Amino acid sequence: MQQKNLIKFTVLALLSGALMVTDYRGSALMPVRTALKMVLYPVQYVVDVPYRAARFTREFFSEHEKISAENRELRTLINVYAARDQKYYSIAEENQRLRTQLNAVPAVREKFTLAEILSVSSDPFRQNVVINKGSKQGLFVGQVALSGKNIYGQIDSVTPSSAVVMRLTDVKHAIPVRNTRTGLGALAVGTGKINLLELKNIEANMDVQKGDVFVSSGLGQLFPADFPVAVVRTVAYNPGDSFMKVKAQTLTDFTKTREILLIWRSDYATRAAENTGGDKESPGNSKATVAGLSTNKNVKSQKNRIGKNQPINKQKQLQGQ
Amino acid sequence: MENTVLRFTGAILLSLLIALALTILPLSEDWKLWRPEWIAMTLIHWALLLPKKMSLLLAWFMGLLVDALYGSILGQHAFGYTLIVFMALRLRPRLLVDSFLHQIFLLTLTLGTYLLINLWILGVSGNTPEPWVYWTPVISSVIVWPLYHYLLYRLFTEQKTFDY
Repeated sequence: MQQKNLIKFTVLALLSGALMVTDYRGSALMPVRTALKMVLYPVQYVVDVPYRAARFTREFFSEHEKISAENRELRTLINVYAARDQKYYSIAEENQRLRTQLNAVPAVREKFTLAEILSVSSDPFRQNVVINKGSKQGLFVGQVALSGKNIYGQIDSVTPSSAVVMRLTDVKHAIPVRNTRTGLGALAVGTGKINLLELKNIEANMDVQKGDVFVSSGLGQLFPADFPVAVVRTVAYNPGDSFMKVKAQTLTDFTKTREILLIWRSDYATRAAENTGGDKESPGNSKATVAGLSTNKNVKSQKNRIGKNQPINKQKQLQGQ
Repeated sequence: MENTVLRFTGAILLSLLIALALTILPLSEDWKLWRPEWIAMTLIHWALLLPKKMSLLLAWFMGLLVDALYGSILGQHAFGYTLIVFMALRLRPRLLVDSFLHQIFLLTLTLGTYLLINLWILGVSGNTPEPWVYWTPVISSVIVWPLYHYLLYRLFTEQKTFDY
């Protein structure tokens, strides 16, 4: 019995070692991970049920009056936003037209979807959450997640019906940012602590103050530019260091967020198409195809949007007449 | 304890599933660090109570599931859990299984080794957790162990009343 266990243990230990090395070096084990996550998903779902039920009952029993007031408020808000949206789209169309006339690269256009965080915690030393949408809904690794107008994080891995989102504060996460006051660029790296980022690569003589707001700079091409990220909380400098130690608080409150927005940028689609299409052209040519494809895509998504907004559109036109 | 039998087939699997659910259970950020090592405790419980029913392979598979859950390197927890069960099975003949002091000694030893190896693996793969709070699961596990052990014992096993 003892001997047998020893042999078994040795085999399993070696197997674990081999797994760890393979997993550390590349993404060859991704299918295994996905399969394991699919086994886990029912358990995660069941664990979330009581929380969901509690929320449901709370909402169910909250007073009718309050809800109707809220409903009225939201209705007016929808109208306001619809009007604003309409204005935005007419401006966007105009912009697109002007850009084609100028032969410029079309501006990035985004599509959104809402996902709910399955209230699931994982490793206390990582800052990851699981959401209830996956590759079936078209999510993909590296997709940007927002919370309201602030950046939440990016998708780390997907399975058919769930996905893991890495928060900005994860120790493995970094996002290029820009100071709104001075335009100074930096890298905001997660600390593994809740709502806290560290701004790296800020030299000692740079102008950074407490209360400065940093927004995404759009460098690195993953995150869209000019979305708020963090506000500076402490600035410290040790004489002798070449960089300052700047801590910043995220504008997303990760302890309170339940829903996140996932965005599709039109150039993502083209990037995916590029990858799968396998058009091996010279860099110059491929750039041209990117521009062409993304214009097509833009036109398509624009059509979709207009199709959805038809009533408002018509209303607007009627009003105009 | 020699005439302890499982109350129903699949009791070990069910208890591990419950432990997994307890591991997934959402907790606030402050409490998360104090989450006991439920799965490790369950594995140790069964290794002590029914060493013949406990297999290293099961521990290894549970570890793989936890790796997928935590997003850690595949094989990290798998190795850890296998080591825990192996140590528990090895040390069992040298202990008084019914004595709480001995149980807690075993628990601290195995969990300590497990966490130490996890720390090494984390260090090698490039994310080092905070030094002191990293060890809190050992304390919380030791605190909840007596109750958890008793509950598992009462819920999932029964005494054989006569010999077949």
